[in-house]
Amino acid sequence: MISALYLTLALTQASAPAPDPPLTEIAVERTTAEHLHLAVGDTVRLGASPDSLHRLAVITAIYEPKPDPAEISRRALGIRLHLPDLADLLGAADRVDRFGVGLVPGVSADSAVRVLNRLAFGFRAHSSAAIASESSQTFKVVSRFHRAIAVITIVASAVFLLCIMLLKVEERRLDAAMMRFVGVRRRTIFGAVVLEAALIAALGSALGAGLAFLAGAATNAYYRRFFDTELTFSLITPRIVLFSVCLSLLLGIAAGAVAAWRLVRTPPVVLWGRG
Amino acid sequence: MNQPPPILVARDLRKDYPMNGEAVHALRGASLTVQPGEYVAIVGPSGSGKSTLLHIVGGIDPPTGGSVDLLGTRLQTLDDRELTRLRLTRLGFVFQRFHLLPVLTARENVELPMAEAGVKGPQRRARARELLEYVGLAHREDHRATQLSGGEMQRVAIARALANRPAVLLADEPTGELDAATGREVLDLFRRLNRDGTTLLVVTHDERLAEQADRVVHMLDGRIVSEKTTPR
Amino acid sequence: MGQGVTGLGWGLKSLGRHPLRSGLSLAGIAVASAMLLDMVMLSGGIEQSFSELLLARGYQIRLTPKGTLPFDTEASIVDVSQVVARIRGEPGVERAGAVLGTSIYAGVRSPHGKGADSLVTLFGYGIQPEAQGIYQVIAGADLSPGDTLGVLVSQPAAALLGATLGDTVTLLGRLDPQIADAGVGRRLVVRGTARWIYDYRGQPSVGAVLPVMQQLSRRAPADHASLLMVKAAEHAEVEDLATRLRARFPRLEVNSVADLVVQAKRRLVYFTQLSYVLGGMSLVVAVLLVGTLLTIAVNERLGEIATLRAIGVSRGTIVRQVLAEGVALTVVGAAAGIVLGLLTAEYLDAILTSFPGLPAAFSFFVPRAGTLSLAAMVLLLTGSLAGLYPAWLASRAPIASTLRAEAT
Repeated sequence: MISALYLTLALTQASAPAPDPPLTEIAVERTTAEHLHLAVGDTVRLGASPDSLHRLAVITAIYEPKPDPAEISRRALGIRLHLPDLADLLGAADRVDRFGVGLVPGVSADSAVRVLNRLAFGFRAHSSAAIASESSQTFKVVSRFHRAIAVITIVASAVFLLCIMLLKVEERRLDAAMMRFVGVRRRTIFGAVVLEAALIAALGSALGAGLAFLAGAATNAYYRRFFDTELTFSLITPRIVLFSVCLSLLLGIAAGAVAAWRLVRTPPVVLWGRG
Repeated sequence: MNQPPPILVARDLRKDYPMNGEAVHALRGASLTVQPGEYVAIVGPSGSGKSTLLHIVGGIDPPTGGSVDLLGTRLQTLDDRELTRLRLTRLGFVFQRFHLLPVLTARENVELPMAEAGVKGPQRRARARELLEYVGLAHREDHRATQLSGGEMQRVAIARALANRPAVLLADEPTGELDAATGREVLDLFRRLNRDGTTLLVVTHDERLAEQADRVVHMLDGRIVSEKTTPR
Repeated sequence: MGQGVTGLGWGLKSLGRHPLRSGLSLAGIAVASAMLLDMVMLSGGIEQSFSELLLARGYQIRLTPKGTLPFDTEASIVDVSQVVARIRGEPGVERAGAVLGTSIYAGVRSPHGKGADSLVTLFGYGIQPEAQGIYQVIAGADLSPGDTLGVLVSQPAAALLGATLGDTVTLLGRLDPQIADAGVGRRLVVRGTARWIYDYRGQPSVGAVLPVMQQLSRRAPADHASLLMVKAAEHAEVEDLATRLRARFPRLEVNSVADLVVQAKRRLVYFTQLSYVLGGMSLVVAVLLVGTLLTIAVNERLGEIATLRAIGVSRGTIVRQVLAEGVALTVVGAAAGIVLGLLTAEYLDAILTSFPGLPAAFSFFVPRAGTLSLAAMVLLLTGSLAGLYPAWLASRAPIASTLRAEAT
């Protein structure tokens, strides 16, 4: 397998009779075919440079490549040839950039890599997992960015939540004062406020999870259409939902506890406005 | 000698409020006349319509029926803007709960109605100081309202009410939130105001306030049941 | 005093009523403001930074093999010397130069003579020093046009090779990995250290005159380059020149800086879109916070408002009072937010600029006076509008019933 190098495609005139030399068979990627208005049976000219478009080829298939996150933004055009045809076209006979090795079931990739690297010099073997990790650096950066944004958003939400809880509790300071006057214990008032905060947080989490699913679905629909791909851009797993719910409950209860603590430690006379 | 016209004439005032689907008749045909320089106290049990009467003659609340002529103007002919202007320039209000702006100093609270009336800064400040001195709080002019005692706040509220030299001062339970001692300070102040020519209309439960009034109007169930002139 | 009960001064005083509440609200607005500022910087930063990068040496047009972007593929322009000569003869062209990018190798001695020597991979630039737009000499001397014995190194390359000015290094090309043998080697003298404008952080790069690097590169034919850079004459119209070059060289991709910026934005479109979404959300949060706080404050102060109305303060004054409080909250919060935003932008930029292969000089978050002003104005407007509903609420407060309720 030769990695895609630079090729130039040029369209022949369909009306001209096909010359005698045998045509190279190629398969064209679907987006490439749509971009260049190509179809199965069309004849094209191939060359390693714009000045050497000598090889005639016929399109025998249109294929859908496996979605590659690293490639979607590049919108590169792709075709596939038989290995000898490409080697011949590039003047690089019996030469490849890389090849893949399939292992029989039960053989560990890491041990195979070690064996292959000891075999000879001139190449290096890598497990697919290692390559995936290495080539995912871009997405790891994006993940870190998303996490940073998430942290900032959580901080803002926490501040907002605390502010709202304090306001809610202050609105009911007269009620709290009256309750204390008639003998209701601090602990009871504290518990009531915290419970209310927990309920609001729980309801909010449920609503938030629903919104997240909707937003995720909208994100996937939009970017799949935008990049013309089947990749998944937003994935909401049960673990993510659990983490979010737990965090919002924690923040909500903490905010409620702070507000409740302020309420119960204030003398009722002061709450009443007479102290 | 011709007597000056009454400063306030309220005729057959009625006021109904909807409450839980039923009409509450707060006033059932109350009529009242107040002469310039008079000190009138309105007394009665809770729910007798005292505050409602005060609010209507002060242009705060429109009556369901009847009319009010205040300083020669029929209040029912004025729109909201004109009523607001009338309250700003011709009336002064003092309430049970003072309602000073806590972020302003005593002086700034007194200046507030003058600022609203467009009085320039230096004149405002001078008048505010003069009023605070009148009520005995010149030494507290730069204290914020939250730093004042209840009695002091009420005196500042009275000074505020006098800012634009009102023709009539309307007070609703001015000593309601005060203890006996501070209440007495307010009593003294009202007496002095009236001696200096201010017309006072005061709603009160406080017998001491009622005692020093020229006339005490008794209300019950939305009606004026008796008026007693205090002998001098 | 007139201004003092409705102007910014009044608003600022009002913040002192409830210090904790105000403090939290300000913190919330500051964070929302910071996020908004960052997103405004991000939305314009890619374009600004990339433009500045491309114009660092004043070359406004790039020519690359058809269908490619600079250094995007291994494709190259053949018979490049003829192409360069033709471009230089084109009216409106002040300078034109070719650049070749290729992988080359160098041997590195093991430290203290222990262990085996090794080969390291370097990025090689083939340059025409008389017309180049990709490096700045930071130490030593530049290469002269015919200097086939000299090399410029980046600081990471110098460290990797253990080379300083005047040292001789051996660069290897056409490496056969199977027998670890180089097809060609050149001994070159380090003339200077250069900052290669498009290098990513830590990239070990070396540059030699074009013929030397062509010889070291794997590809044939020899007379090739990866791209051409063109600087327009002072009074020449850049887009017009680009159009003429496109017509003259139909087998080459001709891109002006504006074209390349569009391409870059297309590749990084996700960040632009994200900036709009998050920026919008930040505004919504700020509006909610200010609006909620003021609404609750108004509800708490209905008695006070009713009294003010009773003593003759107009509805307009009440409305202005409430709006002033909203503006004060927003102004103070936004001021703190701008400081916070600049700090978080630096942090976020550090994350994004660690993208592999991204030029080290590139930034996603670019603070500019215009950006800061725009963010501040948007915030101020939003904070003011957020106070409209509570202000309306306050102006409609019923005087008599409120006073009655207060008295009970």
